[in-house]
Amino acid sequence: MESPADSTWQGYSLAERDRRWAAVRKNAAEAGLDGVFVPLGNGSDARYLTEQAAASVVLPTDGRAPIGVSDRGGHTPWVSDIRTANRAWAEPMAHALLDLGMERARIGVSGLKGGKVSHVRNPDGVVDYSAYAEVQRRLPNATFEDATDIVGFARYVKGEEEVACLRHAAAIGEVGIEEMAELARPGMDAAVLYARVMGRMLDIGSEYYPLAFYCAPLGEEAARNTDPPLGMRLRLGDYITNETSPVWGGQVAQEDQPILVGPIPDAFKPLIDLQREVWEAGLAMMKPGLTFGELLDFVEAFGKQHDVATSVTMHGRGIGDDNGPLITPRAAGEAIRGLRMEAGNVWIWKPSTHSPDGKLTFQWGGDVLVTDHGGERLFKRPHACISVQ
Amino acid sequence: MEAPADVTWKGYSVAERDRRWTAVRKAAGEAGLDCIFVPLCVDPMQLYLSSDSKRGVRSDVRYLTQMENAAIVLPTDGRAPIVIDDRGRGNNWIADAGPANRGMRGSWSSAMADALIELGMERARIGISGLTRGTYTHARANDGVINYSSYVEVMRRLPNATFVNATDVLGRVRFVKGDEEIETFRRAVAIAEAGVEEMAAVARPGVDAAHLYSRVTVRLLELGSERHDWAMNLPDRNTNPPIGRRLRAGDYITNEVSAVWGSQLAQEDQPILLGAVPEEWKPLIELQRQLWHESLAVMRPGTSFGEVLDFISAFGPKHGVGTHVTCHSRGLGNEGPIVTPRTVGPNVRAVRLERGNTFVWKPSVESADGKHSYVWAGDVVVMEGGAEALPKRPVDIISIT
Repeated sequence: MESPADSTWQGYSLAERDRRWAAVRKNAAEAGLDGVFVPLGNGSDARYLTEQAAASVVLPTDGRAPIGVSDRGGHTPWVSDIRTANRAWAEPMAHALLDLGMERARIGVSGLKGGKVSHVRNPDGVVDYSAYAEVQRRLPNATFEDATDIVGFARYVKGEEEVACLRHAAAIGEVGIEEMAELARPGMDAAVLYARVMGRMLDIGSEYYPLAFYCAPLGEEAARNTDPPLGMRLRLGDYITNETSPVWGGQVAQEDQPILVGPIPDAFKPLIDLQREVWEAGLAMMKPGLTFGELLDFVEAFGKQHDVATSVTMHGRGIGDDNGPLITPRAAGEAIRGLRMEAGNVWIWKPSTHSPDGKLTFQWGGDVLVTDHGGERLFKRPHACISVQ
Repeated sequence: MEAPADVTWKGYSVAERDRRWTAVRKAAGEAGLDCIFVPLCVDPMQLYLSSDSKRGVRSDVRYLTQMENAAIVLPTDGRAPIVIDDRGRGNNWIADAGPANRGMRGSWSSAMADALIELGMERARIGISGLTRGTYTHARANDGVINYSSYVEVMRRLPNATFVNATDVLGRVRFVKGDEEIETFRRAVAIAEAGVEEMAAVARPGVDAAHLYSRVTVRLLELGSERHDWAMNLPDRNTNPPIGRRLRAGDYITNEVSAVWGSQLAQEDQPILLGAVPEEWKPLIELQRQLWHESLAVMRPGTSFGEVLDFISAFGPKHGVGTHVTCHSRGLGNEGPIVTPRTVGPNVRAVRLERGNTFVWKPSVESADGKHSYVWAGDVVVMEGGAEALPKRPVDIISIT
């Protein structure tokens, strides 16, 4: 992998910008919206449309250029008109809408609520109260309605440039996992292990996105650490699970690699083998047109056939950590059973197998891309529980 | 410094919790409020106006509960608060947090409204912290940090209650640190200085700037710091590893090396020059050192910010240079009062210093022709006799030749 100093990647192209804008405009037009408004608080949709980390944007449906707002204003290769907020966003956001003739328009607001495929971890949305309330006050004759899915379903289908960035991010994640496997030994300070894995990923150019690190004896519940754990030294028998999340080009990948500090118990091996089977079989099913309900049913039936319990955890990947659909034990996916997969979807695929007594669970996963031929891995390492001693 | 694995600090005591709650209740009572309500705030990852702003988004609830993401209703009359978090998991401060949506993902609005109603706030005067920027907290968040959809629903459920902005009610309390907070802050400063040492050890011509950023980050984390998006300026500001940049002879690296311990955010700013210090800089560096020490002596309890700022302004002309200060309070993130050469926050001049205030203090000097500017900065705590400098390293530029 080239070093960050020698990287040749120069950011997303204008063609990628136009692809995104066209997709959002198409969704907005079909919903009868005059424009899509991404207000303060909705950083991921703003980044998707402007390539700015903190911005607001109004994108007219009719093809006119958008107006952006950022703290310092100016222009970027993507957006020529960016108004200055100087820490006070309500006024320039209202002006952007007024300047685009939206006084009496039907305005779609992205991020007001959690969506089906974006902002899935924020059921109450992400919009800042004071700024948005003032914008509404300034445009009393406009109609504001939730348009989270308008932008969300554009983000749901990745373009080639985005997929390339996710591949690069996944490769960085695998280097981080190699570092973890190299260093995880009895006696190791868990905070140092955490730091070294993060450092390895930063060293090859990842943006910082916190590693989620779990460590406890196999079969015991482990606490989630998204900062260096305090008061923890690795012990023989510790079982490390993780969500290793590198970022490249704004795309957050996630690779999950269990590591056991010790030999793998015989009772655990069948769970690992079955998880491999269900992971591969599920991957093969991931073709355009498949519903999430069909996938969920398959995984459940697989477990019954093999006398184990199975469950699905998966969520979309892309900009930020709020991509959907989100399927976890706390978000079972009932609302998206009918949703169909499309070519260009990317998610972290990590089904689990559980022993009949519920004491042992094995979950392994990585980033996959939906193609016409089934799901494609965006990473290289083999399926395994890594055993280190 | 003890290794994170061997750390003996177990978190803030229940006495510290009670100190905070008592102070907030007293301030709320004086403001005529029946309770303080910190509602669900926006997602910090989605409201990334700056590193400090991001950390500050959910700082009020962390201050009152030690939880990363929660909502709290704290009655003024001394009754126990109701706390809501995503999963309903308590901690050593909060025995029985309630889940936002029966433990499943879902809106927080019902649980928050129910909490207010359960505490008898249907017709109450409810102080909301975080609706807008404050003098002491949320200092860069002019539009506040409150989540729209859930807050609107809470107001709909309590049509006869009065909701008022109380950012400064809570913020004023956060402005004065307790002894436990000052101790954790000292450790955060020590970690940040270890990061500065690492930067000075690694920064050489030819080094990949991403590698430098990574090495400093590792050093901070492996000493147990929480992650904070610390800044390295080359001269563009980078809060992630810079791409496409290798260090060169003559590079001038400025930075905000930030570490967090016990949720207290420290910041140390250490200029590093990859080369010999130019002769024309040397008097500026010497004067900045003098200004640093003399200004700390001015920062005694009872002194107003206006008096301190006037001292800074007057120092320069006496020495034939320009002098300014950038400073902001320290704590859980996005504290004020905030002062930069361009901006002095609202009401800041009248604010009086108190024992237990903590700041990152960045007095700067500028050559008479305006061509050169120099700042070295670190964290300070206001004590009886003036501000105490917490960093141990010399007040000087680091030259790597």
